[in-house]
Amino acid sequence: MSLKSLDPRVTRLELPENPTEPTPKPELDQLITYEVFHQKKENAAYTYVGPVHAANEEVAFLFGKEQYSRRYACTGMWVTETKNVMVTPYTDEAVSVYDVIRIQPENVTENVGKTAENYEIFHLKKRGKAHQHMGTVSATSYEDALAEAKSQFGDKKPCVNVWVIKAADMFRSEEEDKDIWSTTKEKEYREATAYRVLDKITKYKEENPVA
Amino acid sequence: MYGGGNIFEATKFDDLATEDPVKLAEFEARIARGEKIEPNDWMPELYRKQLIRMIEQHAHSEIIGALPEGTWITRAPGFRRKMAQMAKVQDEVGHGQLLYSAAETLGKSREAMLTDLINGKSKYSNVFNYPAVTWADSNIISWLIDAGAIVNQMANAKGSYGPYCRALDRICAEEAFHLKYGHDAVVHMATGSPKQREMIQAALNRWWPPIMTFFGPSDKMSTHTETLVRWKVKMATNDECRQQFLDMYVPKIWELGLTVPDPKLHKNADGVWEYTEPDWVEFKEVINGNGPCNKERLAVRRTAEEKGAWVRRALLAPKKEAKYIKPLA
Repeated sequence: MSLKSLDPRVTRLELPENPTEPTPKPELDQLITYEVFHQKKENAAYTYVGPVHAANEEVAFLFGKEQYSRRYACTGMWVTETKNVMVTPYTDEAVSVYDVIRIQPENVTENVGKTAENYEIFHLKKRGKAHQHMGTVSATSYEDALAEAKSQFGDKKPCVNVWVIKAADMFRSEEEDKDIWSTTKEKEYREATAYRVLDKITKYKEENPVA
Repeated sequence: MYGGGNIFEATKFDDLATEDPVKLAEFEARIARGEKIEPNDWMPELYRKQLIRMIEQHAHSEIIGALPEGTWITRAPGFRRKMAQMAKVQDEVGHGQLLYSAAETLGKSREAMLTDLINGKSKYSNVFNYPAVTWADSNIISWLIDAGAIVNQMANAKGSYGPYCRALDRICAEEAFHLKYGHDAVVHMATGSPKQREMIQAALNRWWPPIMTFFGPSDKMSTHTETLVRWKVKMATNDECRQQFLDMYVPKIWELGLTVPDPKLHKNADGVWEYTEPDWVEFKEVINGNGPCNKERLAVRRTAEEKGAWVRRALLAPKKEAKYIKPLA
C-alpha cells in the first residue's frame, strides 16, 4: 500500500505506507560550516550574522546571501570557513578580553623571513549580540595579529571576545557586483507593510453591526 | 514560526549533584546578572541537553511546518498569493537552518538531528500532524499558528543562550510579515462571499482544537521546571503563553463575526480566559505517531533527504579532506 495524501503530488510519489527503518546520515552529509558577515549599509562595519552549511565558499556565499540578505537591507557580505576563525576566550561583561588573555611576545628571530599579511579583527561587545569588524591589522601570525589588535583596538571597551581571520581567507562580495543587493519593488508582497486589513475590517463591521 | 508546546524531558540522573559547585555558581551568577551564555562557556549537562532538545524541536517544527502550507503554493488563488505563500514557506525553512545551527553550537551535528527527525526519535510541533484540507486551512495556519509561535518565540528570545537569542531575533523580525500576511488572508475570506466565509469558519473549526494544544499541557511545577526557569531556558509557562495568545487573538477572530468552536470560551472579570480543556489524550496519541499526517510528513521529509543525497555527495567530492567543525556562535 502506498501513502494517500490530500496533496496529489504527494500521492503520486507512491511512498510506502510502512517504510523501512531509515539509515543514519553519513558524516559530512550536511557538508561543512561557514561563518557569514554582512554590511547593513554603505560604510557600516561588517557584522556577524550566522553560519551556513555548504561545500565550498562560492556556494556558502550564495546560501549566505539567500539566508541573511533576503529580508534585510544589505550592501555587502563576507564569508569564511569556520576553521579559519581564531577565537579568544569569552570574558565577563565587566572585563575586557584584552586584559585577560596573555599574548606571547613574538620571538624576533622566528619572524625573520616571514612576510606580514592582513588579518581582520572582530569584537563582541556584549554576550548574545554579534561580532563586529573593528579593522584590519598587518601581522605575521594569528598571535601577532592579536597583539597588534590589542595595541590598536584594546581601548575599545567593552569587548568580551575577539575573532581573528586572515584577510586572504575571507570570500567577499565585489564592489562592481553591488546590484545583487537591490530588491525590486515587485517583491513588496513579502513585506509586512504590504498588508493593510484595517479598512476591510472596518467596512465589514459597518455593514454587519453586532445585534 | 513554530516553537511552542515544548515538553521537557524528565531527566533520569540527579540533575545537579554531579556538577562542579564552583562552576555551577559562576554559571548561575552570569545568568542572574543578565549576561548570555555563549557556546564555549562551561554549562551544566542538564542545560545543554534541554537546550539541544528545545532548539532541535523548534528547528524540526520549522521545516515540517513548511509542508502543510507548501502544499498550497501551487493551488493558491492568484499569482501574488502564490509568490507570498512561497516567500513565507521559504522563510520557515530558513528559520529551520538558523535553529539547527544554534543547536549545533551545543554539540549535536545537523546529520544527527535530521536522522532523529526522520526516524521519529525527535519531535516537532504536534499541530503539523494535522492536514491543511483547503486553502482556508492554510490561511488559518499562517495567521493563528504563526501568532502562537510568535508568543512563544518572543518569550524565548529573552532566554539565556546567546546563539538561540540571535536566531530568534532574526526569526521574530521575519514573522511580522507572516502574521500580517495570514491575517490579511483570513480577513479576505471572512469579508468575502458566503462560500468564502463558510470555508474560513470550517477551517477555524478544524484548527481550533490543535491550536489550543499548541502551547502544550499545563506545566507541572517541579524542581526540575524551577531550575529551567532560573536558568532562563523556560521563559514562560505553557498556560501563560496560552492565555496571552487568547487575549491577543480571540477578539480579532470575533470582530470578523467568526465563532470559536468552544462554548466555554470567555474572559473572566479578572482577565483570565476560561476554555474547555483540550483533549490531552489525543494530543499524546498524535505525538506518538498516530495523528492523521505523521506518516506523510516524515515520508515526504525522508524522500526529500534521500533524493538530494547524491547532490550533496557530488558537491563534497572534490573536497575529500573536508572536516566538520561546529559553527561558532
